[in-house]
Amino acid sequence: MHLISSDVIRGYNDTIILYMLLDNDSYGYEISKNIREFSDEKYIIKETTLYSAFNRLMKNGYIESFYKDETHGKRRTYYRITQAGKNYYKEKCTEWDITKQVINRFIKEEI
Amino acid sequence: METIMNYLDNMFATLPKTKQMKAIKEDIFSNMEDKYNELKRSGKSENEAVGIVISEFGNIDELKREFDIDLNEEKEDLPSLTETEVNNYFKENKKNSMLIGAGVILCLLGVSLLILIPQLVSDGYITGFLDGGDRLLIPFFILIAIATGMFTYAGMRMGFGKYRSIDKRFELPLYLRKSIEIKNETFHPTYTLSVIVGVVLSILSPITLFIESTITGTASNYGVVFQLFIISIAVYIFVYFGWIKMSYDALLKIGRHSKINK
Repeated sequence: MHLISSDVIRGYNDTIILYMLLDNDSYGYEISKNIREFSDEKYIIKETTLYSAFNRLMKNGYIESFYKDETHGKRRTYYRITQAGKNYYKEKCTEWDITKQVINRFIKEEI
Repeated sequence: METIMNYLDNMFATLPKTKQMKAIKEDIFSNMEDKYNELKRSGKSENEAVGIVISEFGNIDELKREFDIDLNEEKEDLPSLTETEVNNYFKENKKNSMLIGAGVILCLLGVSLLILIPQLVSDGYITGFLDGGDRLLIPFFILIAIATGMFTYAGMRMGFGKYRSIDKRFELPLYLRKSIEIKNETFHPTYTLSVIVGVVLSILSPITLFIESTITGTASNYGVVFQLFIISIAVYIFVYFGWIKMSYDALLKIGRHSKINK
């Protein structure tokens, strides 16, 4: 199985995280677990990557954090996507569409 | 779990201890804890679980880069080295290397005297002088004491001097880096030669014993003394040229770390 290198995916970590927050608020471990499952275990996001992205997204006002106490007593930092975050996500989707088209021009199935 | 905690502590040790960093560290720890518990539940062994959790931590430099602003402020005001300071650094290091090299020679000389004096006495070259067993140790200890003094002095100069850990406390301007790089390249053949000479001397030093035994028929203590003499020259060469090389390495290392991070 091929794992995705973090270099290739770097520009889209923010998009991936925003996607994970579109429908529900979520917290660090749940987000990274979902990314792993959604990518069929092909992409495992590192903790440092995740928290760099959280910081960047918060600085830009794309997500907000808040505390939530779990039933079994653990206090977690949850993240919620903002309207600005949703707009940014849409932009990134368009950008990816174009990127994909361009890169595909240079991809050959067989050589 | 303790392994993971220790790992995190080490990773965050170099980061500023702000509230924000503490919060991030706690969150990451909680994630790692969750991941660890889940791996254990899925039947992984303690070691496997810890291994996976740690391997998925990532690279602390990523966080450093993200919080760049705070880190750069701390680094910014490193003083720049001037040409005079670079020259002084070399002078200083040469002086220290000479002190240490000479100290080593004195130690070996002390040992040589322990061998040489009794030989001279028994051969009748010295009479009535220092022939008592205990008094023999006097020159030995005097030399060792001087050598120790030299080692300590050099050590103090290195430990407390202006240029200690030069690569972490100074910036090196580009034009100086270039000229040092060039000097370093021209020094390299000299260094290689010095290593060769030192090694050859060390290997050949027992030859004095053979030469002596072919001339006089017996290998005596004079041969041993001469061998020690040759070895001390070799050691001096190693120390002296090794130190110059180390000076170049330390100077050229300046700024290397931070550049890689960016």
